[in-house]
Amino acid sequence: MIINTLLIGVSSGAIYALMALALVLVWRSTRVVNFAQAGQAVLSTYIGYETMARTHNYWLSVPIAIFFGALLAAIVDVLFMRVLARRAQQGPIAEIAPVITTLGLLGLIHSLIGLIWGNTFVQYTSPLSGKGFTFGTHVIPFSPQNLLIVLTATGVMAIFAAIFTFTDLGLSLRAASFQPEIARLAGIKVDRVRTVGWAFAGATGAVAGVVITPTSYLSPNSLDLLLVTGFVAAVIGGLESLIGAVVGGVVLGIGFAFILQYIGPSVTFLAGFIILMVVQLVKPHGFFGHKTSRHA
Amino acid sequence: MVFSVTKRVAMHSARLTPLKRALLLAVFGLLLLLLSNQVDELRSYQGAQVAIYAIAISSIIVLTGFSGQISLGHGAVMAIGGYASALAFTLWNFPWEFALMFGTIVGTIFGCALGIASARLQGPYLAGTTLALAVGLPSLANQFKVLGGEQGISFDIGDAPAWLRQMVGGEFTQYKWFFWLATPVAIVTFWFITNLLQSNVGRSWRAARNHPVAAGLAGINVARAKILAFTVSSSLASLAGGLFAVMLGLVTPMAFPLSLSFLLVTGAVIAGVGNLAGIILGALVLVSIPELSGTLATYLGNSQKVTANLPGLVASLLLIVVVIFAPNGLRPTALWKAFRQFYK
Repeated sequence: MIINTLLIGVSSGAIYALMALALVLVWRSTRVVNFAQAGQAVLSTYIGYETMARTHNYWLSVPIAIFFGALLAAIVDVLFMRVLARRAQQGPIAEIAPVITTLGLLGLIHSLIGLIWGNTFVQYTSPLSGKGFTFGTHVIPFSPQNLLIVLTATGVMAIFAAIFTFTDLGLSLRAASFQPEIARLAGIKVDRVRTVGWAFAGATGAVAGVVITPTSYLSPNSLDLLLVTGFVAAVIGGLESLIGAVVGGVVLGIGFAFILQYIGPSVTFLAGFIILMVVQLVKPHGFFGHKTSRHA
Repeated sequence: MVFSVTKRVAMHSARLTPLKRALLLAVFGLLLLLLSNQVDELRSYQGAQVAIYAIAISSIIVLTGFSGQISLGHGAVMAIGGYASALAFTLWNFPWEFALMFGTIVGTIFGCALGIASARLQGPYLAGTTLALAVGLPSLANQFKVLGGEQGISFDIGDAPAWLRQMVGGEFTQYKWFFWLATPVAIVTFWFITNLLQSNVGRSWRAARNHPVAAGLAGINVARAKILAFTVSSSLASLAGGLFAVMLGLVTPMAFPLSLSFLLVTGAVIAGVGNLAGIILGALVLVSIPELSGTLATYLGNSQKVTANLPGLVASLLLIVVVIFAPNGLRPTALWKAFRQFYK
């Protein structure tokens, strides 16, 4: 029983971790919590769905959706965030203007999706079975699709770990996020590097969307709850740390699975709020954050 | 810039004493109410909506414009006000006036608790936390039987009292009654906030917001100022929530969706978050968005997709455009100046 709950937790935790990763990547590059991330991810998933509807090939639709996710995020950064950084430096809402803009983008993307595809639930299926693996007569709540989710999430994290540790791009991403002025003096094109950070985040969100959606349904709002859980996971990890986001996601996934199992489905999201509150009061920098990085 | 905006607002309204301001607002309200005899049911409905939105937007303006905190979860605070009022009215048979007061008190206490918990949170952290609240809270209705699940609780306060009908005369429809109820409440609220923001409470909020360190040195308890602002803001929001529930005739989890919280932020941004006079404008815009997009939808051929999504599209576009081009609110002069600067 406990093992079953753990398995459910790990699978949903992998998705939370991906979403948290997307939020952390944007936060590190631009100091914005991107509430539009849910919209970007769901729009990318719709692109995957459309590709699937035309070609009947899930494996082709996945890379297209991911590429679109990266492109969309880059466009959002160039069109909105750069303009905002130039214009809204002062005035009564200077500090909250980016948050509000991403909120507006979320609404905009939702309505655009509704205009194009309608607000009804659609199915975006994968060729993998959603039924749990069977061992003899025993069925565990872990299907081939869940396996795909966990493997993809692990793969994405491995790729990011490699990029950030071993490549020049990773180094400039880190430099641009921690000391933008000095990075600029050292010849890094900070704006361009930031856009790359956004694109990585967009791609990560799209991955989360295309692997989780076959286990349920697709609608303009279907990933909104994921945004909140992803945010909670990111804050547990300190909002700065990529490893923190992953650990936060998995811990939250397992925690939610136990709450779901032993308390009931309707308190899950309130539990998310309470966890968020407690983490922020007890450990304002998260469990992986740096003490000095909070103000910025 | 921050200083000049708040100073201009302060100077603008400081010319009037509280008493004169009250008289002015009373005359304004009376004119509005007399106007209610001349308009049809739809307009009375929209008028009541404007009044309720105005109260709700002012709750965001108090919080964001004058205390520098952000909330994406004020729809949830409205839900608390609405549910508490409806519970008091339907379950415990309070008269509706007291039920509304009870809802406001419950919302105020909740806001105080939330303010204490979140006084240490900044910008995006607070935004995300209140967002999580807005997502999590409505699900409580399904957890406890007394809250009525998806069906919610009914909150039918009936027709206008006899004395009012006699005094006003004419046909007294349901929505006209709600208009008569919500407008005076909005006006009293408006009077209360303008006075509060003029007082040293308001000044300490602005000081704590503009320069926390200097405010602390000047003897202002910054954390307490923030908590108090959150509390006042929540009591306004829960009052608006109660009135909202009265107008709907019931409370359900669906009546307070996440989009309501976003709509309030949109209204406050349109009003200009440091600008009290913009509240009416913000509320008017919010109410006219569905109507405007309805007209636009007919033009575009009224398919179900268009009618369902156009209001959201218009509202979000408006939000983005205002934040980027007119961060001080949607005043025609400010917009024009921003466009000229942008294309210079």
